[in-house]
Amino acid sequence: MINGQEGLYGYNGRALVVDLTRQQSYWQTLDAAVLRRFIGGTGLGTYLLYTHCPPGIDAYDPANPLIFVTSPLVGSRLTTSSKFAVLTKSPLTGFIGDSLSSSFMATELKKTGCDALIVSGRSESPCLLSIDDGEVKFLDARSFMGMTTLDTERAIKQQLGHRTRVACIGPAGENLVRFASITNDGGRQAARTGPGAVMGSKNLKAIAVRGTHAVPVRDHDALNSIGADLTRRSLGPATEKYRTLGTMANVSVFNSLGTLPTRNFQQSTFDGAEGVSAEKFHESNFVKNAHCANCTIGCEKILVTSDKGKKAQGRMEYESAFALGPLVGVADGNTVIRASTLCDELGMDTISVGATIAWAMECFERGILTTKDTDGIDLRFGSGDELLECVRLIAERKGIGDLLAEGSRGAAQLIGQGTDAWAMQVKGLEMPGYEPRSLKTMALGLAVSTRGACHNRSSAYEADFSARVDRLKVDEVRGRITAEGEDFSAVLDSLIWCKFLRKAFGDLYEESAEIYRHITGWDMTAEELQLAGERINNLKKQFNIREGWSRDDDTLPPRVFDEVLPTGVVEGVGLSRQDLDMMVQAYYLARGWREDGTIPAAKLKELGLEDVVLEAVPSL
Amino acid sequence: MRSLKRAGSSAVGSTVCISIELFGTARMACGRKLIETRVPAYGSIKDLALVLARICPELVGVALRDDLSGLLASYTLNLNATEFVEGDELTLRDGDTLLLFSSQAGG
Repeated sequence: MINGQEGLYGYNGRALVVDLTRQQSYWQTLDAAVLRRFIGGTGLGTYLLYTHCPPGIDAYDPANPLIFVTSPLVGSRLTTSSKFAVLTKSPLTGFIGDSLSSSFMATELKKTGCDALIVSGRSESPCLLSIDDGEVKFLDARSFMGMTTLDTERAIKQQLGHRTRVACIGPAGENLVRFASITNDGGRQAARTGPGAVMGSKNLKAIAVRGTHAVPVRDHDALNSIGADLTRRSLGPATEKYRTLGTMANVSVFNSLGTLPTRNFQQSTFDGAEGVSAEKFHESNFVKNAHCANCTIGCEKILVTSDKGKKAQGRMEYESAFALGPLVGVADGNTVIRASTLCDELGMDTISVGATIAWAMECFERGILTTKDTDGIDLRFGSGDELLECVRLIAERKGIGDLLAEGSRGAAQLIGQGTDAWAMQVKGLEMPGYEPRSLKTMALGLAVSTRGACHNRSSAYEADFSARVDRLKVDEVRGRITAEGEDFSAVLDSLIWCKFLRKAFGDLYEESAEIYRHITGWDMTAEELQLAGERINNLKKQFNIREGWSRDDDTLPPRVFDEVLPTGVVEGVGLSRQDLDMMVQAYYLARGWREDGTIPAAKLKELGLEDVVLEAVPSL
Repeated sequence: MRSLKRAGSSAVGSTVCISIELFGTARMACGRKLIETRVPAYGSIKDLALVLARICPELVGVALRDDLSGLLASYTLNLNATEFVEGDELTLRDGDTLLLFSSQAGG
């Protein structure tokens, strides 16, 4: 069967459920009420994860579903709309794992006839899952094992045709590195929280999709008119940074503001920031801008090394530049390009790689790890070649890499000796490039985020980088700001819009509701969309509660409380546990949760989640 | 939200010596990181735009509006790396540094 539900616009109305153990598949109908309440992307994915993942299982249990979700916007050709979400129980955090990726994989997956692909089970031998217009095949992937992500994609396209779109893992995913990524379209990564490791645990090397069935939209003319206006706005001042220097422009600004995490968050300014700044990269290493499918912004900056060493060329974002530069004390741009490219090829989250190596470097400099532990690697801050060697060892799980492949929290637990004090993670997810002591709203956002230390699920930093708040001081208002930011982000991540488009909207909810109406024909309102954002965040939280979350998980690493920032304009600035606790309580209050952070039944009922949390896990 | 009005010793009509640190495309357009200049102690963003355009005409259309009435929406100002500037009024002291960078936070 190719067609989805009759009379649906914008959706196929069904998910394809695949069992790798039995090599079987079936279609699960997605009711209109579910689609409308959870929208698509991260929202629909959270619903499917909640209902498909048996409570309390290990992330590597074959029953842990790996879920790919498109959205009603996918296929509409609206700018930045070609995105998909990947959800699973995270092997890094033990809580909800959700990541986003972009480009042709999203449009092609939807054209196969499903809104979501749910993969469970474990293949006996390495598998290539092929979905061709809804026809499922379990192909032999042994010949692709050990290949990098880019080589895997090339080889599969050679075998199945160039129109095939591929999502795959590299050696890191095969070796169950807990922060392994899933790669598609020549280097796009769903990386945070380690979905590639779950894919590897299923013996699933790659997914290849091809489809021909475009999903109709209800009012094509109206959508085209809005789409043209949105495209115009996407090329204006609201996206200027992303179109010119890209997110790397943060490096020099953050350094001046004292918010650039350096040497494992021991400082928030970096003497060598100039060497890894966007301005320097643009002058010395810039090749071209790159775009995702249907994107008019083109935020991706393709860089190439400019020294006499081995050539490397790849994408560079702020988070990669920060994590593989200042965070590990490396000031050489060419080394950062090599390390980032290596992470992409081996299939790993650059933030977790950099932060875990930074933790190890501090262990080394404190004498807790020695050259005996590192097979002779002099793992000090600023050691470029040693950084690159470490990245390779992690992907291969060899030597010190086997320890570091567990992530900073896992590695600190394994070697003990108080090293968890400088494992810079929340709920097991390594921290992004925003210093929480000098960005107090972001501090709260990082502490309460359901997927761990994440800047993107709340965008709480936006308040700190504005005149709305004093970024160096705390107050209770941050609770409401963070909750509202999370709901806003959940709507972006479910429709799915690229976050870099967010400033192009006058009113995200009003404009998106209108677009949703034109796509689906359903009478969506701005208020209903906003409520969906709140519903999605509550269900994410309820998933974590089910999987063992406690109030103690909503915190920050000890270093943040125990050490003040030593340099720059923020010298002497810190954050006390009491101040963070006050903001966390304000956040729970803003959410309508109990003081212990759990969700009252009345709140679940208000959001229409009562039935969902009681729903049985369907059997295959 | 606060506008930047600070007590200072400068008299109305006087000027102060400040630095303006450029970032991103503004830095690249001007080919320099820092501008040191005199501006009115009690002035406006428009006054600042006029001064900047005189020193670095390359900033017009990059960070400054074509009519020099202020900054483009894609740029923002921060005073001494601690306070974001809001509103049109600008009160400055000798030795202040204004940071001129993209208004699109994060990423």
